[in-house]
Amino acid sequence: MRKLLLSAITASALTASAAFAQSGTTVTGRVTSDAGVPLGGATVFIAGTNIGAQTNDDGSYTFVVPAARATGGSSTITARVIGYTARSVSITLTPGATVNQSFSLPINPFRLGEVVVTGAGMSTTREKLGVTINSVDSALIRRAAEPQNLISALAGKAPNVVVRTQSGEPGAGASVLIRGAASLTGTNQPLFVVDGQPIDNQTVSTAFLAVNGGSLGDRQGGTATPNRAADINPSDIEAIEILKGSAASAIYGARAANGVVLITTKRGHVGPTRVSLSSTVNFDNARLVDFLQHDYAQGTVAGGVPDAVATCGDTPDCAPRGGRTSWGARLPAGTPTYDHMHELFRTGTTADNNLQVSGGNERTSFYSSVGLTNQIGVVEGPNNKYNRASFRLKGTQEVGSNITLSGNFNYVDARGNFVQHGNDVSGLLLGALRTPPAFNNLNFLTERGLQRPYRFPNPTSVEAFGCCAYYDNPFFVVNSPGNRSELGRTISNFNVDWRPLPWLTVKETLGGDYYSDSRLQALPLTSANDAAGSVIRAEQTNLVIDHNLIASATGSRGQNLNGTFTIGQNLNSRRYRSLSGQGEGLIAPVPLAIENTVSQTGLEFKSLRHIESYFGQGELNLYNQLYLSAGVRNDGFSTFGASQRRHNFYKASAAWTLSSLLHGGDQTGLLSFAKLRAAYGETGREPDVYAALNALSTIVQFGSGYGDALKSSVGGVPGITSSTRVGNPALRPELQREFEFGGDFGFLNQKIDLSIVGYNKRSNDVILPITVNAGSTGFLSAFRNTGALTNKGLEVALNARPFTSQNLAWEVGVQYGRNRGNVTDLGGAEIFDLQEGFGASSAEGADVLGYAPGVIIGTAFVHCGRAIQIPVPGIAGGLVAQDIDALCAATPGGFKNGALFLAPDGLPITDPQVRVLGDPHPRYTMSYTSSLKIMNRVTLSGLLDVRKGGDVYNGTRGALYVFGTHVDTDRRSTQGQYGVNYDTKKYPDVAGPGKGVVGLQTPEDWERWMSIVGTGGGFSGPSEQFMEDGGFVKLRELSLTLNLDQPVLKRLTGFSSLDLRLSGRNLKTWTNYRGVDPEVNNAGSEYLTQGLDWFANPQTRSFVISFSLNR
Amino acid sequence: MIKLRYLVTLAAVLMATSCKSDFLTGGDLSTDPNRPSAATANQLFAGAEGAIWALLGSDPARVTGMWARQFAGGQNQYQSIYNYVYDEGIQSGFNAGLYAAGGLVDIVHAQQIAKGEENFALLGILQVQEAITMGTGADLFGNLVYSQALSGTPNPTLDDQLVVYDSVQKVLSAAVANMATTDATNSPPTAADLVYFGDTNLWTALAHTLKARFYMHTAEQRPGAYAQALAEAQLGIDSDGGNFVGAFTSNAAEQNFYFQFEVPAGRAGYLIADPQFVALLAGRNDPRRTEYFNAAGTRLSGARLAPDFQQPFVTYDENTLIWAEAAYRTGDQVTALAKLNEERANHGLAAEVVAGQALLNEILIEKYIANFQLGHEAWNDFKRVCTPNFAPTQAGQKMPARMYYDPNERLTNTNIPPAGQGFNGSRNPDDPPNIVSDGTGQPCQAG
Repeated sequence: MRKLLLSAITASALTASAAFAQSGTTVTGRVTSDAGVPLGGATVFIAGTNIGAQTNDDGSYTFVVPAARATGGSSTITARVIGYTARSVSITLTPGATVNQSFSLPINPFRLGEVVVTGAGMSTTREKLGVTINSVDSALIRRAAEPQNLISALAGKAPNVVVRTQSGEPGAGASVLIRGAASLTGTNQPLFVVDGQPIDNQTVSTAFLAVNGGSLGDRQGGTATPNRAADINPSDIEAIEILKGSAASAIYGARAANGVVLITTKRGHVGPTRVSLSSTVNFDNARLVDFLQHDYAQGTVAGGVPDAVATCGDTPDCAPRGGRTSWGARLPAGTPTYDHMHELFRTGTTADNNLQVSGGNERTSFYSSVGLTNQIGVVEGPNNKYNRASFRLKGTQEVGSNITLSGNFNYVDARGNFVQHGNDVSGLLLGALRTPPAFNNLNFLTERGLQRPYRFPNPTSVEAFGCCAYYDNPFFVVNSPGNRSELGRTISNFNVDWRPLPWLTVKETLGGDYYSDSRLQALPLTSANDAAGSVIRAEQTNLVIDHNLIASATGSRGQNLNGTFTIGQNLNSRRYRSLSGQGEGLIAPVPLAIENTVSQTGLEFKSLRHIESYFGQGELNLYNQLYLSAGVRNDGFSTFGASQRRHNFYKASAAWTLSSLLHGGDQTGLLSFAKLRAAYGETGREPDVYAALNALSTIVQFGSGYGDALKSSVGGVPGITSSTRVGNPALRPELQREFEFGGDFGFLNQKIDLSIVGYNKRSNDVILPITVNAGSTGFLSAFRNTGALTNKGLEVALNARPFTSQNLAWEVGVQYGRNRGNVTDLGGAEIFDLQEGFGASSAEGADVLGYAPGVIIGTAFVHCGRAIQIPVPGIAGGLVAQDIDALCAATPGGFKNGALFLAPDGLPITDPQVRVLGDPHPRYTMSYTSSLKIMNRVTLSGLLDVRKGGDVYNGTRGALYVFGTHVDTDRRSTQGQYGVNYDTKKYPDVAGPGKGVVGLQTPEDWERWMSIVGTGGGFSGPSEQFMEDGGFVKLRELSLTLNLDQPVLKRLTGFSSLDLRLSGRNLKTWTNYRGVDPEVNNAGSEYLTQGLDWFANPQTRSFVISFSLNR
Repeated sequence: MIKLRYLVTLAAVLMATSCKSDFLTGGDLSTDPNRPSAATANQLFAGAEGAIWALLGSDPARVTGMWARQFAGGQNQYQSIYNYVYDEGIQSGFNAGLYAAGGLVDIVHAQQIAKGEENFALLGILQVQEAITMGTGADLFGNLVYSQALSGTPNPTLDDQLVVYDSVQKVLSAAVANMATTDATNSPPTAADLVYFGDTNLWTALAHTLKARFYMHTAEQRPGAYAQALAEAQLGIDSDGGNFVGAFTSNAAEQNFYFQFEVPAGRAGYLIADPQFVALLAGRNDPRRTEYFNAAGTRLSGARLAPDFQQPFVTYDENTLIWAEAAYRTGDQVTALAKLNEERANHGLAAEVVAGQALLNEILIEKYIANFQLGHEAWNDFKRVCTPNFAPTQAGQKMPARMYYDPNERLTNTNIPPAGQGFNGSRNPDDPPNIVSDGTGQPCQAG
């Protein structure tokens, strides 16, 4: 054993092969595609053993068969690489000889015969799959040029996998929605499993952990928040399998409603030790859109709307007083103005360095890596960075003849500094974009060293800020050091793979995922949000322990019938704790620490959840063309109600390789391959922790909705009450049932491949907090399994390889995915307000019958054809309700249904009823990929990401109308008429008595219309006006790779090959969206509702230079 | 054979792990570590006390204070409510709060514990809590779910307001009887009771004053109620020391609701002094003009806005004036005048010499002044006696006489009519048209 380990280490020496050459057989050669393209990363090994090697980028390989086996007999050697069909040949192993054996492999677009991980420790070969599993391999992840977050790297990689990144800030979270949202609440994120072990992927903002930050609204402010799957170093990833539907993910039962992302990390391969050193530098810049006016001064239009709370009064602190808005006079020519957007951003850099050493021999393999990512963000100032350091050691050892032990240890240290942003008066863009164009934010401190915001430009003392700073100067924000996170995390597991009998395999995986995450979010003295200053400190720890044991038996009867039967047990424990303290009122300006505050409060939360599950699965292979599979998982969750402790999830699938009947299945001809498949599966979602339990409360407060609240323990006397929400011991998991049908087809000798999948998923028993009658029950609400929804969709992937010669290999691909969600039951209600957003009278996320989950509801203008009867200003009768449709019908020239109704003054009026304003889910997503390899040296590849539709609430624009800083307010000296020259794109058709009337004639009219009380502004006007199409086309990736493997390189550096890559990410965006970016979302992955933009930060585009040295 | 042994071992391991049947239950799996699963009667009593203070000191008191024209609405929602523009959202859950956390569900729970412990003194005190909660509910909302409350019955029926008052009287009678017991197992809350420190005599006096108060609320329908109120008032609170107050402190979320509303909740300017009331006080040279309001007469005085102001909710003054009015109504003008002057003396005011209708008016106006910020009691009297008969803020409209039910309660109980219909949104159908006035000759404009 010891000797074997030693030999693995000494194998790293270049002379290793020579040392063994005396007695063994050296096997060398090249692996290419059948068109002659060298295949790097292919494994060549002696069948039935682990003796072999991996090819270099030029396709060459060399390994030595030890003398013990090189006895002159013949052996089969096999060459295998992803995407090509493996080939085997027989060679004679003569001691001391050198065998030259090259391979030419045919392309294998469906990866037939390749092993695919299907979850819970099981795997199969791809042709047997009756379900949809999308694979993303390491090359694609690396090409994504996004070292920060592996989820972001999934964008555009598979149909109906919709990725959103909160913003371009370092450490920003990303979320992924697979085949739409399966549930009506929560973020609907998939389960992440790394090397067989479920890991935590929570996104918890610091504000949420704080004493007073528990309301959803706060998550739109604060800082960027990482999602915890981003702790995995993408360079360590070998492959990602996305289990999309319930049929594929049913083996994970009640945790798999939203799909499962299986991550397999790299491992060591047999052969000489490989060393890879890669270094990547990103130059990031913010995608900025200039939507600010530069022509008008701070102030109110004479005769315009009085700016009642515009200033802080007549104190010198406020001088010069200009009010909050920029509806003042035209700036004199030559007045310097400032670009309040661009001045905040710079070129950021991300340096990502990875060293990987791996290798192995026939009994031992190892992989080790060190990765270091240093990201300096695009926002000016010192507090915008995120660093991640990780190392991993993975080893495998064969013990005896039938046991393999392996271990995998990963440690991650991630720490970030953040800038407050979003819906936050101490946020970056909120104050910046409201600033009048001629105010210089760059001087953010006065001579006395006090903050200098534009509404309070001459503060005399810290105390004076208590009245009216209103918004922070953005440069004060970027220099505020009080927002940090520090994480230490280890994800480790231990595996035993035991083959007690030739037909029986037993596998055990025992894994642990532990992290400790420490947060600080503080507001310094004079902050607009809290002039006295405040400090939030929060710690959260999370421990997941997972045990997964399977026994798998295979058997066959003749050549045409064989099968596998697997049973397994899964035990899982998740323990979470958070502890936060909040200090109010800083004593000294620094430190930003709890002990430096006047008063403190604390909050603690802890939870423990266990899972005990058993599963069984059988697979049957008939005539090597019909594959049947069926399984069941019996889940026991501690979170299920006591009367519903266990639940079964079933699945079944069938796949038929039709083309086995064609040309003997040799994959040639016009229709070279055809496979049809059908699958059914069930998955679930567990209830919230402790939702099934009844308990009392120490935190209920008594008071009104105005904010007055009395604790239940007053004057030191302990008071206890019942909880307002009653526990439901009959709570069972939500249940998703999904049917999917698909086909995989190859054409023209597999030059073209096409996959089509259709699915229909129905979610029942969806858990909603339902209002109950207090008089009858003594409680206000209860969790019930009452909601239902469906998701139906279609996925198409088409790839073609028009050229596959040695000098020119060109691949193109297109992927298409569409999903339609439809809420069918909300427990009797028509709307379930998710309380994600700005209130139902503005723009708010909600589930609405007949729509996808998480649409945006809010206020709209009155439109024709909605049977509305309300009073219309300017029409005789004062407060008498008018029949709008009758008024529309009276329009000269008639009206179109849905036309914007205009009152006699030429302006629209507000509909009193809350309406569905938009659906943030895209109508469909597409991606186009292309890869061109020239002379085996240069690869040019690109990814175009298309999202059609998907509405975004551009609340930023609405607010900036009020403040008169938006470029749309620049037209205040011209006349505006609905239906003619104002908002005609949004409202192409108008009707009613005001049609033809010029509604907006003077600057005063414009200001009255767009002001804080006006109907055309974002504060009191209908939010419908600010709903925009969030569709886009993004040049997501473009990369040029140069591969050098000249002998001269080897001689000079000792490294066998050098990859040089120039790439870009998010290089170009084509969109009609008028805000910073259609992908933004204030609360990131903490909300179900996407598409809420309230001073959200922009996304970044990156230019990447990377090189890797391999040996 | 060796392999067989492996298999047996494997089976044993599998069975060992799967037989661990308590993997899904026990410890932090079956008990929420963040919330208590049990409470003592004293702890539930303290929780319920906070809920009662909120019912008497938070939004219902502010809103009815505006409708009784002691406060005015300065801005935003309060400006609308003051001008009778309001909807079923205004009571912010106080209707449902009668039953939920800190309400009937916890009081009944505590009563069961006290009964089990044969702690009749505490049981009586908890019954007083029940009575003040449900009686106040009847005052604010009219007909109420009570006899079927907490029964789990879908769509529980509403008891007629008078029936609720009758039930409350019975609960209070039982409370008095329980507190009079001398069992060795009796253990009234001492430290847990920040108002009376477990003094059952004071709680008993409070019970009698509450009985008198609720009898007065039925007097429009039942003339005999005045005699009942008189009998109870004679046993009621007999000094300022017996006042039932909110024992607020200066700590965050423990402060007086009026302070919280103005300062931490940032609602300064919403609730301002009603000029008519300020003028009434000024016109009578009443020292409470400056006790209640600031020098300018625009908002509450500093003393009343102090975070730890011990806000009175049921007082000796109220009891004395109920006694006075009830005596007058039952024909004893001598006692009526004596009690009026006893209350005036308590505020350093000279004794009056009046009789007849003038005496009644004087009692009622004195009570209107004394009951300022006494929960919603000034509004209750105002509805009943129309004195002083201030003009409504909206000409042609009547002052609101009921609060709407919680919309969530309405949507989950078919017996609750829509807002603005039936018996909610105005006076109850069995309230007679009130023509009693303060002698101004104007018809009553309440309700």
